[in-house]
Amino acid sequence: MSTHKDQTKAVSDQDTEGPAAPIIFFFIIGFAASLVIGWGIFPKLLYSQKHQPIDFNHAVHVEEVDDGCESCHYFREDGSFSGIPDLESCMECHEDVIGASEEEEKFVEEYVVPEREVPWLVYSRQPDCVYFSHAPHVISGKMECAECHGHIGESDHARVYEENRITGYSRDIWGKNMIGIAKNPWERMKMDDCSKCHIRENVNQGSVQTQKGGCFVCHK
Amino acid sequence: MKIDRRSFLALTIGGAAGTALTPLPWKLTDDSSIWSQNWPWTPVPAKGENSYAYTSCTLCPGGCGLMVRMVGDRAVKIEGLEGHPINDGGICILGLSGLQLLYGATRVKTPLKRIGKRGEGRWEKISWDEALANVTAKLGQLRDANQSHTVACILGSKHGTTSTLFKRFMTAYGSPNVMTTPSVQDTLEMTLQVMHGVEAEAGFDIENSDYILSFGSGLIEGWGSPVRMFRANSAWRENGVKVVQVEPRLSSTAAKSDQWIPINPGTEAALAMGIAHILIKESLFDNDFIENHTEGFAGWKKMVLDEYTPEKVAAITGVGKTAIVRVAREFAGADKPLALCGRGCGDTPGSLAEAMAVHTVNALVGSINREGGVIAVPMTAYAAWPDMTMDSMAQSGMVKSRVDGAGSDKFPLAASLLNRFAGGVIAADAYPVNALLISGANPVYATPDAQAFKKAVEKIPFVVSFSSYMDETSMNADLILPNHVYLERLEDVPVTAGLQKPMVGMVQPVVYPLHDTRHAGDVVIELARSMGGSVGDAFPWDNYEACLEAVLGEKWDALSEEGLWQDENFQPAEWGEAFETASGKFEFMNSAMGLMPSYVPLSLEGNASTFPLLLIPFDSMRLASRFISDPPFVIKAVEDTVLKGKEMCVEINPATAKSLGLANGKSAVLSTPKGGARVKIYHYDGIMPGVVAVPRGLGHTADDKYMAGKGANFNALIGPVEDRASGLDTAWGIRAKLAKA
Amino acid sequence: MKEAQGHNKTKKFGMVIDLDKCTGCGACMVACMAENNVSFREDESDKQLSTAWMRVYKMTNGKPFPDADVCYIPRPCMHCEGHGGHSPCVSVCPATATDYDNNTGIVSQIYTRCFGCRYCMVACPYHARVFNWWDPVWPADMEKMLNPDVSVRMRGVVEKCSFCYHRYQRAMEKAHYEERHEIEEDEYQTSCTQACPAGAITFGDLNNPDHTVNQLVKPDNRHGGRPKNPHAFRLLERLGTNPKVYYLSSREWVIRAGDNYVKNENH
Repeated sequence: MSTHKDQTKAVSDQDTEGPAAPIIFFFIIGFAASLVIGWGIFPKLLYSQKHQPIDFNHAVHVEEVDDGCESCHYFREDGSFSGIPDLESCMECHEDVIGASEEEEKFVEEYVVPEREVPWLVYSRQPDCVYFSHAPHVISGKMECAECHGHIGESDHARVYEENRITGYSRDIWGKNMIGIAKNPWERMKMDDCSKCHIRENVNQGSVQTQKGGCFVCHK
Repeated sequence: MKIDRRSFLALTIGGAAGTALTPLPWKLTDDSSIWSQNWPWTPVPAKGENSYAYTSCTLCPGGCGLMVRMVGDRAVKIEGLEGHPINDGGICILGLSGLQLLYGATRVKTPLKRIGKRGEGRWEKISWDEALANVTAKLGQLRDANQSHTVACILGSKHGTTSTLFKRFMTAYGSPNVMTTPSVQDTLEMTLQVMHGVEAEAGFDIENSDYILSFGSGLIEGWGSPVRMFRANSAWRENGVKVVQVEPRLSSTAAKSDQWIPINPGTEAALAMGIAHILIKESLFDNDFIENHTEGFAGWKKMVLDEYTPEKVAAITGVGKTAIVRVAREFAGADKPLALCGRGCGDTPGSLAEAMAVHTVNALVGSINREGGVIAVPMTAYAAWPDMTMDSMAQSGMVKSRVDGAGSDKFPLAASLLNRFAGGVIAADAYPVNALLISGANPVYATPDAQAFKKAVEKIPFVVSFSSYMDETSMNADLILPNHVYLERLEDVPVTAGLQKPMVGMVQPVVYPLHDTRHAGDVVIELARSMGGSVGDAFPWDNYEACLEAVLGEKWDALSEEGLWQDENFQPAEWGEAFETASGKFEFMNSAMGLMPSYVPLSLEGNASTFPLLLIPFDSMRLASRFISDPPFVIKAVEDTVLKGKEMCVEINPATAKSLGLANGKSAVLSTPKGGARVKIYHYDGIMPGVVAVPRGLGHTADDKYMAGKGANFNALIGPVEDRASGLDTAWGIRAKLAKA
Repeated sequence: MKEAQGHNKTKKFGMVIDLDKCTGCGACMVACMAENNVSFREDESDKQLSTAWMRVYKMTNGKPFPDADVCYIPRPCMHCEGHGGHSPCVSVCPATATDYDNNTGIVSQIYTRCFGCRYCMVACPYHARVFNWWDPVWPADMEKMLNPDVSVRMRGVVEKCSFCYHRYQRAMEKAHYEERHEIEEDEYQTSCTQACPAGAITFGDLNNPDHTVNQLVKPDNRHGGRPKNPHAFRLLERLGTNPKVYYLSSREWVIRAGDNYVKNENH
């Protein structure tokens, strides 16, 4: 019994005598480790790195065409936006290899010859429940392409596509910045980003529930 | 350093505090909610360029124009073609569901050869070469053995180049046994043949009529060209056109009409004769027409005045005397009255005497070949087919008597009697049927007394189905040579469903064929060519498209570009030139054939004590009853008073039900002399006491789970009753009994 | 619609269904299913479990043979305005998954937002809402016929008629492309309206005097705010749901069947 008592005392001595340093130490270890995990490891685990099937060079193409972005990413007559050109559009120029680039050669060989659509990875792809139309933004709203897509038109190489392992969508939707702070409007495209601008521009603010934008404006 | 409980807590708290300052929890929450809102197994339809492809519908004889909405190369929706003379943007429930047939699970994807027993559903995939070689060998053998006439062919339609190719093949090969799916149009054609002396289709200028008297026609339940009829019905409502519906059951047509006259089932002809009686007795008929353009009026008039007094007619039909007189007077008083016949959607040919009786009601008021009346639309040969030479074998085959007796001394008016085919095959009086080709039809399901038909098919050693689907007929075939679905093929569709002028629509492929199927027209041409000799020579075209282009001549451009050809200049023949009978006039009676408009009571199968009820079918737009099984969307739209679970509902008057002790919603067994089915009782005030009704179009046994195993097939509950004059099926119902299950 | 008149004016899309013309053929139901990717199952005869945005009901006058009468009544979502947009379903939704848009008068349903509590189904007096008890399956190649303009619903959420809002979006998209601010009446029509072979359904902006729906059922103060047309009525008018779907019928019993009355009460 006495031994037990002594031990107890010894422990309590240690408690009162020594400063709380070890406990804080543990706290700090936990704190620091979680910061490392949360900021360093988690983002790496969350996103897988994928490469575009063809390392597309926007800059070269922009130089060649007359009408800027709209040369390839045009509006159809019904007002819908064509988005990424299909193989047929590409083949208007690239039926055969016309340049010296290895990527072009690969493109012709792997896609043009077997007439297979290129499985491009779309940085701006939103979930299916999202309705987005380019016409009101670009034509009526007079927004520049770069406002949402950044200066992709000036790029020489296709960026790495970081796919969220949970959702399957591109990192561009949430933004490179893990906190979700965007310096430029094209760095993030979450629902809040849409509604922020819609509120500012007073677009379709007809909701009874939220007194803000109607849900059907951007959802389907 | 020891790790105790406290330090562990500190570590955890530190970790938690740190984590809260990282994006991890917030990001995980957000991502997992996005994930849970977009399950990977919920399909995301691919985007693409929107466009429209234009074609025509072939799912019924209505001939609607279609525009198919395309996204990329996917067909996503069928819509009615705006501006089309028949449907102008409107479309029916079946037409809307067409893509489920195209993309559905019931497609036959390659040629199939049976390896199990008939109907067992065990098949072997074979190549087209093998399949065609198989048919050529079999048909070649029969021909070599002078048995070409023992090959029979059943077609969905008698019109159009695909059907003509089949008929041409049969002629060149040497068999008279080509049959087509029957309908009231057959009876109406005979009516015009007998009374007008012309070969013509009956057209109805319903848009311009101002009084419609319908003897049981389901005007808005599939009769004629359905969408055209809907549009007409709406116009009638807007313009105050009176519609009178004569029918034992409150159908949708009856409910929409201005007046519903319930009548004892099968006695419509007596009412028509009763109305004729009043028109004659009160001199309400068109004097000019009767005096100058008819023959045999005096004799017939006497019979009508003697036999069809309002008292007698009231006793037969159950329609009150005053109603008979009133309807007759209203009919005569209208400017452009029109009487119509053909029960339900018009699939049952009905009695010739009855069609003649109704036609006579029109004739009495002069509603013949004039605005708002019945128009005899000549069967113009819109396609020009080259002559062909028949070798001796073909010639000797073609003069053989037909299995179905059509065109024989007994039935000189008939061109095809599918209702007599099964009997002919089973009896095999003159010769057995050794092979059967079936295209565009599903007779194993759709022929009254379906069991007998199936037995007949079982007796035929070689059965080839050209169906695109694994339907009841395909299931009982030896070989399936799948046709493209209509959305994948090119074809002309002459519209004959009661239109008042000649019109041909064009079916154009809107998608590339999904499977290893072939156009039935191409297959016939290939078969003929591989048979060689005069059979091959009759088919000088490389393929179906070349054939179509050649035979359509100058109409090809209009059809392939506009998808439609109409005879804009068509005018119905004036009364003076309209009739090509012996007298050159409209003939009330044909003494030579012993035909006249009259009421011929039908003796129904079964006796009244065992089967105290009368069972009649009803047609509904929400059920396809012809060669197409109801796609899932159509089945989904069926009311729960028509189909509940796997049981179909039987409509019964609450009074009758009470006397039989049958509670609403309870299961029961419905039996007829032909068969029986488990049903659910549905108390319906809209049906005459003593009469029960079930829908047509249920009870498929082939196809997939979405289409099959729902309710019972009415054709398995009824048998055909031969019309003495025409040979066609005239049964409108059968005796039945209901017992608690 | 004239530009000057319609610009910036609040719209109130509504529907008028002429029951005298409706034949109960069911084309509207399937036109809706095909347009809106409505799923189907093997057995659809239990109508409480059947997902149909548009459903055609059969009404009878309750009289015995031969005085029996039948009328079919197509029922889409009524897009109730209630008072100030507080339609029954919007008021009860705890998830803000359904909403009333003052700009269009359309009651939205956001499937990804819905968590399936089904309060709205209880609140809706028209049974216009249905719950997805099963994950949707399109057998064989049928996924090819899915419309990309409408998202596919997963199991566990409520869905309902949207007045084909995506067709409004498409029409507006085209208008924006052509630098217009407004669309014509015929540019935005629901799938059921377009398909109806009897021409029984009319759709448009109830606020716009140029639109047919406005002409058919324009509220008239001399009629207590109800349409002047004596054949026009709304379902359960007296509940105060203020629906935007009007019906026309020349039959008194049909009009009377549109609401609940105590015995011997006149409407």
